[in-house]
Amino acid sequence: MPSALGTAAATAPGLSRRRLTRRRVGNAVVPYLLLLPVVLVIGATLGYPIYNLIRLSGQKYDLFALLQHHGTSVGLKNYSSVLHDAVFWHTLLRTVVFTVVNVGLTLTLGMLMALLFVKVSTWVRVLLSAGLVLVWATPPVVAVQIWLWMTNSQNGILNSFLTDVLHVGDYFQHDWFVTPFSQLAMVTTLVVWGAIPFVTITLYAALTQVPRELVEAAEIDGATAWRVFRDITVPVIMPALLILTSLSIIWDFGVFTQAYLLIGAGHIIPQNYLMGIYLFQEGYVRTDFGRGATISILMLLIVAAMSVVYVRRMVRLGDAT
Amino acid sequence: MSTRSAGRLGWNLVGIAVFVVMVFPVYWMISTAFKADDQINSANPAWVPTHPTLQHFRDAIARPYFWRSVENSLIIVSVVVVLAIALSFLAAVALSKYRFTGRGLFIVAIIGIQMLPAAGLIIPLYVVLAKYRQVNTLTGVIITYLVFVVPFCVWTLRGFLIGIPKDLEEAAMVDGSTRLGAFAKILMPLMAPGLVATSVFAFITAWNEYIFARTLLNDQSKQTITVWLSAFLGTSRQTDYGALMAASSLIAIPVILFFLFVQKRIAFGLTSGAVRG
Amino acid sequence: MRTRVIAVLGIAVLLGVVAATAQAGGQRVAANKLTVWLQVDAQSGWPDVVAAANQQFQQANPGWTVDVQYQNWSDHLQKFDATIAGNSTPDVIEMGNTEMTKYMAAGAFADLTAAKGTFQNSANWLSGLAKSGQYGGKTYGIPYYAGSRVITYRSDLFQKAGIKQPPTSLAQFEAAMVKIGKQNKVKGFSPLYVGGQDWYTALSFVFDYGGSIAQQVSGKWKGTLASPKSIAGLTAFKTFFQLTQSKSTATLDGTNPFPYTVFSQGRTSANYGPAWYSCCTGAKYKTVTQQFVMPSHTKGLPMPGFLGGSDLAVPVQSNNKAQATQWLADFTNTVNEKALQAKGNIPNATNLLGSSVNERAAARSWFVPQAKHWVDVENGNILKTMLSQILTGKLTVKQAATVASDNITQTLNGA
Repeated sequence: MPSALGTAAATAPGLSRRRLTRRRVGNAVVPYLLLLPVVLVIGATLGYPIYNLIRLSGQKYDLFALLQHHGTSVGLKNYSSVLHDAVFWHTLLRTVVFTVVNVGLTLTLGMLMALLFVKVSTWVRVLLSAGLVLVWATPPVVAVQIWLWMTNSQNGILNSFLTDVLHVGDYFQHDWFVTPFSQLAMVTTLVVWGAIPFVTITLYAALTQVPRELVEAAEIDGATAWRVFRDITVPVIMPALLILTSLSIIWDFGVFTQAYLLIGAGHIIPQNYLMGIYLFQEGYVRTDFGRGATISILMLLIVAAMSVVYVRRMVRLGDAT
Repeated sequence: MSTRSAGRLGWNLVGIAVFVVMVFPVYWMISTAFKADDQINSANPAWVPTHPTLQHFRDAIARPYFWRSVENSLIIVSVVVVLAIALSFLAAVALSKYRFTGRGLFIVAIIGIQMLPAAGLIIPLYVVLAKYRQVNTLTGVIITYLVFVVPFCVWTLRGFLIGIPKDLEEAAMVDGSTRLGAFAKILMPLMAPGLVATSVFAFITAWNEYIFARTLLNDQSKQTITVWLSAFLGTSRQTDYGALMAASSLIAIPVILFFLFVQKRIAFGLTSGAVRG
Repeated sequence: MRTRVIAVLGIAVLLGVVAATAQAGGQRVAANKLTVWLQVDAQSGWPDVVAAANQQFQQANPGWTVDVQYQNWSDHLQKFDATIAGNSTPDVIEMGNTEMTKYMAAGAFADLTAAKGTFQNSANWLSGLAKSGQYGGKTYGIPYYAGSRVITYRSDLFQKAGIKQPPTSLAQFEAAMVKIGKQNKVKGFSPLYVGGQDWYTALSFVFDYGGSIAQQVSGKWKGTLASPKSIAGLTAFKTFFQLTQSKSTATLDGTNPFPYTVFSQGRTSANYGPAWYSCCTGAKYKTVTQQFVMPSHTKGLPMPGFLGGSDLAVPVQSNNKAQATQWLADFTNTVNEKALQAKGNIPNATNLLGSSVNERAAARSWFVPQAKHWVDVENGNILKTMLSQILTGKLTVKQAATVASDNITQTLNGA
């Protein structure tokens, strides 16, 4: 009998104070419990590698040291050597330009495509999504191979398309990988092509959260498409835009697989280094692991600097709620 | 009304044109899988296979460890997707709904991890996993992929959770349901697009990853499908491009199936418009 | 909902446990296991030889299994480095002969000098290949197989041009190429097809004229590509290239497309490359594909060919060195070497040599400087850059050679 009364009383607002106390105590522990699995997995896996990376950057660690499992400490000599290397600075500049171009293209084209998704009929949308997932699902190793074929100087379809179909000039047996500029341009097309699906799908998911009534109301009021986009759409999808921008910067700055395989190990020279390739060549291929670790840490700091503006906005946006 | 449908038709045409351009390289891959060898290597590229053959598919499947590699990839990917979503969702809830000390530090860590250059981590990660005797095991690869995938999933899900207005939650709780119940009934459908995006991301990242799988898995019986594919290109002698493209086309199928399975859930999320307003 | 979440989590954990135990189970069984790293060439080219060696080994060592893991040339060294760091190296590894010196100098391999007598035909090992496995007077790598470079050509096109015998001098060869070029004025046709950046070809000319890549002078390396003889060779190569090839190949490195692919497309009448090119010249030209030894500029002599090849070594961290050595002996015995020869390779000992075109071409060969930093020269593409500059006319032969030579000096001395 008391319990029935108790149950009835529990739903009354008067007893909410007791509930609040219990909830507050419970609340203090809950977030940590929720975070625990992630912290465990990542901490156990990355803890040592990160520590090792920092320690390696202060050592001379070559193949001989690898075999001995023991390097010699050289203080900050690795850092000064890399920072005094002209190749480092040229590569950095080249990679920054590359990143800006790639991120710009990826986000612009991805945004346009996501907006297109909203405008088309459902069947076209499903077709496009399936197509994008196909693109996204193509393994980089295979995509590089396809690109090499399409741009092959002897029998590539790109040359014959430009020469025989579009008639924009004589591209017969044109080699698309002669200059660093054209090599990196080819890498850009591959990277942007592969990056668009993810951006489009994420932005489309965000666009679905834009309240349709607001848009319709604005259109009835006579607002142009651009005003609707800028004032209604962008604020709603801002979290997604910020994530994608930061991630694109991080990924495109550190791109390695596509660039290394497309340009080809046989054509990699300091004039077409990107930071990821520079790290791989100097650190791994030359088995100078101390230097490789140094470059990794410098890359981390540079990328952090490049994306800090977006990240800060992201965090602030989240905290505002 | 007629201008509306004309406009819609126009957009549809644009959509189809975009589809053709984006998918052309994939078409090239699939059509090469069906082309006879003489057409693949011919001096004049053929746009369409004129005498298609299934021989490359047979060759690809017959190569040793094909099915084994597919099986390994599927196991790794399924576990990664499920664990990533589960772990990330929990963490995202913590980040978005609670205030606690260490929150800022955790956020910085989550973002910072994604900035680590993967190439720099190859050997240190290998050494750690060797210590736990997880080299040459699927679990070692799963753990590695989780580390790469979880930060992004946490961040995205947090973004979606933040985007859900608080009054919706409170409205649900006034009804008497517990917090978790509120999530389930009302918020999950709103989360659906975010969950789809993150699960597809986790799936494809794990499916396509190459560098770490290559370094960590030495036994051919443990290899993932991307590593298996690279064996086609690793020799200095003649490469069987037809079989490589046939194999690549085949392995795109699970990804398409997965996507078709989850894309219905987007529709589910959208139609529960009862939550709007 | 909560139950569903728990159920999904439970399934995931279960899957993970299943995967883990499946792998753990596999590891427990492999108690006495020999891990061998061979390149994929063996997997596609001579799997029967590998199987025969494994069987012989397992018969003599009951309770042992051999796990052969096939590697790619592009990343097998990075993978090897990772296993060194993690103390899980294979017991046997195949290395390219130009890759050996760096690892021998670092002490990565076990000393096999004492076991040399257990390898069949070791007294007659090909000197070029054997030297690549020696360092500081000790033997760390044993010769596996070699390959030289030959001209693979279209006998029908040569017949049409009235060339009945293989040319015996470079001048004769050039004349033949020019003649064929005139007869086949098809768009995109190149009488000879070799990638302009193919330094194996270009440096053959350098060595033919008595030049060299680098010499050791009182302990330090000095690049010698800018010496008068080397420059004479490079100049001869430039002339040869311009007479026999289409300009579009000046910057290609021979991997995209492969020369034999161009051959199969009917766009060339000859390739200079490894002997196995004859496998891949296309069904259409199978019956008219033949080979001859590339002639030197000196009449009657063969052009020195790059002697490529592989060595086999035992990593020093291996716990099964005795068994590894035994396996090596089984793998490189006379029977197996002859089987490799039958597949178009050059066997590892002079007493096994036959008279195929490949083997005759190996009579005069050259090799890269045996410096521990040589791989850095290759990976830095110094020679390829030099050839591009020469063939596109961006720099004169002397300028390009001087730049390359200085780069090589710097790199070989460990800068």
